[in-house]
Amino acid sequence: MIRKTRIRRTWLAAAVIASGSLLATALPANAETGVSAREIKLGITLPLTGAASPGYSKIGNAMDAYFKYVNDNGGVYGRKVTLIQKNDEYSPQLSIAKTNELILRDKVFALVGPLGTANFTAVHKSVGLAKRRVPSLFLNTGFSGFSKKKSYPTSFMVLPSYAMEAKIIAQFLKENHAGKKLGIVYQNDEFGIDGMGAFKAAGTKFDVTIPYTSGSQSSATAQTWVSQLAAGGAEVVVMFGVTSATGALLGVSAAARYAPQWILGSVGSDPVTLRAIGVPVAVLNGAQTPAGNPSPNDTSDEYVKQFQEINTKYNTGVAFDDYVLQGMNIGLLTVQALRAAGKNLTRRGLVRAMETKGSKFASVAYSPLGFSRTSNVGHTGYYMAVMDATGDRKPFGGKVTLYTTDSGSGPVVVSTFKRPAMPAKGLPSNS
Amino acid sequence: MRKKIAIFILIGWALLIIGDRVDELRVYQGAQVAMYTIALASIVLLTGYSGQVSLGNGAMMAVGGYGAALTLNNLGTPIWFAFLMAIVTASLFGALLGAAAARVSGPYLAGTTLALAVGLPAIANQFAFLGGEPGLFFDVGFPPERFGDEFTQYKWFFWIACFIALIALFITSNILSSRFGRTWKAIRGNSLAAELCGVHSSRMKVLAFTVSSGLAGLAGAVLAMTISLVAPGAYGLALSFALVTGAVLAGISSLPGVVLGALILVFIPEISVALADRLGDADKLNNYLPGLIVSVLLILSVIFTPNGPGENLRKHLHKKPAH
Repeated sequence: MIRKTRIRRTWLAAAVIASGSLLATALPANAETGVSAREIKLGITLPLTGAASPGYSKIGNAMDAYFKYVNDNGGVYGRKVTLIQKNDEYSPQLSIAKTNELILRDKVFALVGPLGTANFTAVHKSVGLAKRRVPSLFLNTGFSGFSKKKSYPTSFMVLPSYAMEAKIIAQFLKENHAGKKLGIVYQNDEFGIDGMGAFKAAGTKFDVTIPYTSGSQSSATAQTWVSQLAAGGAEVVVMFGVTSATGALLGVSAAARYAPQWILGSVGSDPVTLRAIGVPVAVLNGAQTPAGNPSPNDTSDEYVKQFQEINTKYNTGVAFDDYVLQGMNIGLLTVQALRAAGKNLTRRGLVRAMETKGSKFASVAYSPLGFSRTSNVGHTGYYMAVMDATGDRKPFGGKVTLYTTDSGSGPVVVSTFKRPAMPAKGLPSNS
Repeated sequence: MRKKIAIFILIGWALLIIGDRVDELRVYQGAQVAMYTIALASIVLLTGYSGQVSLGNGAMMAVGGYGAALTLNNLGTPIWFAFLMAIVTASLFGALLGAAAARVSGPYLAGTTLALAVGLPAIANQFAFLGGEPGLFFDVGFPPERFGDEFTQYKWFFWIACFIALIALFITSNILSSRFGRTWKAIRGNSLAAELCGVHSSRMKVLAFTVSSGLAGLAGAVLAMTISLVAPGAYGLALSFALVTGAVLAGISSLPGVVLGALILVFIPEISVALADRLGDADKLNNYLPGLIVSVLLILSVIFTPNGPGENLRKHLHKKPAH
């Protein structure tokens, strides 16, 4: 009897502790989450540590540097923009946990620039961003699935989709490498399959096709890829994978003296990241790659020049590269979106502003933005570039030839689009 | 037994009320507490009762998580069946492992299970049907519409997780107070003496491993539900170590103490955030503080309360009626 009483008391004590802890805090809701008279709170999840962090980890600080520059110049209608960065180590389950922290604990107004296809897919589904009507602006992923407006009504892309990229590469192969034996290594998930579907639709036939499972890439697996590519006689090889896979492929190929014409997808071709994981950048010499933005070394470009100045002052000591450029540009786009949503800032108003005014925003990329009431597609094209032994890129053929297309069956066309000018001093004045 | 049922129903009712009163973050954390409670119960059963030290419970959770996800995604079964399959899959795997584990003990067993914790989740990277690094979705669906618009997805997770945890704890507490629990305790106390009394210790150890793995598998499926995903990274080595820490803090042989252990595990990140905010450079500190706190708590607990603060609390509560 005494024992039973003791067991009951212990169980009840445990329940009381659980109840007390759960009841500990319950905060009242604001008029609009994450917005006060003086501040707009935004959040981003990205890999600040771990294998994927080289390069990507710079995006958040670059955005933050741009927001600080805007804050020092009056903010957005007098409100300062605060960016909360959360480290997800590029792991989907951590992205979910960290996004929950951003939305439930930090109570951010919107997500900006969340990174990774698998990560955002998991976050969108698990956290229920659409149901909560949380705006997710300028996703750092090109998965064309995110352009389904019905499924992702509050999300907006910024990068051209992987399908667009594959279609443009397919066109480039047809125009410049016709008759050569083609090989491709691709990641066997949404990212790679998105591209492969577009290659197939464009009629590109690869003589050697090598899929790999995300996470399985290593020097050992790259040995088997190189053996297959060499045995198949591939003269032009498309690498449609992440940077670690590209690095393994290029490193093993160089050691084996296998030197086809490389065409590197935009995701895995960043020289800074390749250097960070131990790949000698010289192997990039002559590699061809689709590019959306000007080179970060091109100081004749008004956007690059302005962003470099901001970087020097607000992101001191950080080398200005593609990632910093991308981060600052997302900052610029975000400020335009916040201004377009008006002084009475609401989540609904922000989504509407993106739909109705987003296509006119100033952006460093050469291609037009595709935002509308029926489209959450960001940039819609690439130009082809050639890399040198330092990893820097120059337009293929000496001048930028911009190709635009869609993620479906639309044609690839050479575009004459002129991007909007950089706002004066890099400070948007739109409304 | 009736009183025990009544207490569990009372706790369940209290949790339902709490779920309505707290904000969504706490509801989400409540579901995590329920998940950890089941996972820690599996360690208490295995280590606290049968005396087998396992560092690989995270891996058994992974087996359960993948079992549930593959069942739900490929067969389109009701959600309860997916949870059942998590138990079955992990139990079968545990029985196989238990048969091997029964031959080793102490640090050798810990080493074997540690290897499992390191290797098993990474295997998923090698097989496309397991989804590679991004993993597989595990979507239990939206809450029934009759609960209304205010009934959020996380509240739905909280309800399911608490319901499962209460049933799992009720069954586990009955098993532990049954002939099996007493036999496991006898083996833990003195295996040779237990065998002289007619106990087949190897068979009973395998049984303990099987039941414990089933519980861990169930916790793995609940974890998958709360993040809508099964992926290797969710069941990494850090999870296995966190579970061991939670079990030690709970009191390794105290089943009610698992609630305390689970609460500590869920609120460590909260403590970490508060500390990081005070110390400055919160983003960087937050990357390392949770691991540091877990390690320090484990060391302090082993030094000052070898049986765990949970066990001390339990003993303290037990003493009072006798006075």
